[in-house]
Amino acid sequence: MDIEMREEGHAAVLTLSGRLDLASGSTLKEYVKRLAEKNVTSVHLNLAEVEFINSSGLGALVSVMKEMRLLKGRLTLSNLASYVQEIFEITQLSHIFEIYATEEEALATYHEVAVR
Amino acid sequence: MAEHRLTYRSTLEASEKLLDDLGELLARYRVDRGLSQWVLLVVSEAFNNALLHGNKRDPKKTITVVLRVNQSEIVADIIDQGEGGVEKVRSRRTSGPLAESGRGVDLMERFATSTRFEELADGGMKVTVSFCRSGGREYAKSPERHGGKDGY
Repeated sequence: MDIEMREEGHAAVLTLSGRLDLASGSTLKEYVKRLAEKNVTSVHLNLAEVEFINSSGLGALVSVMKEMRLLKGRLTLSNLASYVQEIFEITQLSHIFEIYATEEEALATYHEVAVR
Repeated sequence: MAEHRLTYRSTLEASEKLLDDLGELLARYRVDRGLSQWVLLVVSEAFNNALLHGNKRDPKKTITVVLRVNQSEIVADIIDQGEGGVEKVRSRRTSGPLAESGRGVDLMERFATSTRFEELADGGMKVTVSFCRSGGREYAKSPERHGGKDGY
């Protein structure tokens, strides 16, 4: 899995591509942990290029979300492929995560929060 | 029925190699992309359970995947060299929505047409999953459980 990062205001936008599974899940957790150490606690994950996810990948996403919540931050997701979306729905994780259709929609909510 | 036997050491890298090898075989048999995704998901769940819970990441132990394919069906056996554990799989319990593990078996049972867990005479576990190639996807069971305390 590849991770590309850019900053949008206070949020880190990570574009993931490839497989999100047992090995790459650990990579993602480490990556976000390093961001948290730099006080980045608003993280958006664009999953458009994630071609495969399994329960280990889901577990990594849950772990990242919990870490952000502990730090009073946010984790948002967007651009889930229909295959990934179906897995989120079946596992009912679609009710747990903040999921947006597009990255733009997700990032707009960060701006709204900042304006309030 | 064509048969392929793939054997891997119990390492994290093997779980990646399995997906490469399996994807290649499914493409060779012209399995459509939708079904391929579910086969890859289900076999990877069984493989990771074999790696983590069966063989406990002992690189001296191997995991064998036997794939059989014909026009109507895809069947995979995932065989580890651990200490069984069928009872743990059967007795797994619901865990909270924020659990970081324990969704694998539910996903397997959801997306495979059939799933069978079997303890082998030499102590390992064999998981057999099958998929119907004809018609729409068939869900075997409704996933009412979400994760288990043992991480299966």
